[in-house]
Amino acid sequence: MVADMVAEREGPEGDLVLVERVLAGDRRAFESLVRRHERRIFRVTLAVLGNIEDAEEAMQDTFVKAFRHLDQFRKESRFSTWLTRIAVNEAIQKRNARKNFVPLAEVETAEEHITPKRHEEWKSNPERLYGKQEIHRIVEDAIQSLPQIYREAFVLRDVEELSAEEAAEVLGITVPALKSRLLRARLMMRETLAEKFEEPPTLKTKIIHKAVDVRIAVAMRLMRATSR
Amino acid sequence: MKTTDCKDVLANSSCYIDGEGSDELRQALEEHISRCRRCRVVFDTTGKMLKIVTDAEPFEVPLSVSARLYARLEKILSEV
Repeated sequence: MVADMVAEREGPEGDLVLVERVLAGDRRAFESLVRRHERRIFRVTLAVLGNIEDAEEAMQDTFVKAFRHLDQFRKESRFSTWLTRIAVNEAIQKRNARKNFVPLAEVETAEEHITPKRHEEWKSNPERLYGKQEIHRIVEDAIQSLPQIYREAFVLRDVEELSAEEAAEVLGITVPALKSRLLRARLMMRETLAEKFEEPPTLKTKIIHKAVDVRIAVAMRLMRATSR
Repeated sequence: MKTTDCKDVLANSSCYIDGEGSDELRQALEEHISRCRRCRVVFDTTGKMLKIVTDAEPFEVPLSVSARLYARLEKILSEV
């Protein structure tokens, strides 16, 4: 991300320089723009759509649209943000056209998404537990298992490292809405990865935690009883 | 934030992780997690989750997907 920003401002191959070249008639320079951004755009369309076939189509449409409307790119925002916004729009259109699309409200109000269920510590060296390929797969599967609106927020903010403002702008939602989705996404990701990285509780810690929970429950009951 | 219960703490965990929120809020959260094991574990493991995600191998576009993209672009770029 930091490298992207530097590249965008500087050097003969920076995004803005490439855009100028395409607009001046050097169509081949567009390929360099695609090469720089295809990974991010595919990741974003995949986050919104959840399957490779649809994501591929949305990615192609994004670049075709970007090429045809490049003269509409206003340099107030970064090229990558402009492109990401096109990608999200393409993907959302495709998603809304699907028959099995779940309306937002139903997902957003589900309270269980925010209540942590796992309370064990994690092992300190996850990279020693699994190989690189395996960790990659575990992370990908966890991201794919998130409901769409949380997946979008998580991928834009925590994977592609857009700022909260940029991610909100791209998704067409307010910053507080983005933050609320991100919170839930992170808690859900934590629950999912906990299965793989959690320290199995020893009998001793189990007993201690149980004792603490019982003590809290008893204290609560006493408080309720005395306040009557 | 006068009384900090676990629900408030959780609701503000994302803010805290992103280094946002007033000093007062951050202090209240730190004070809470120092005495609440459950919240401490949630904060700590959410941080670990983010680190695992960030450190995971960068995502690659499948080769066949990429090849079809460039094939389609080729057609468009060579249009007159």
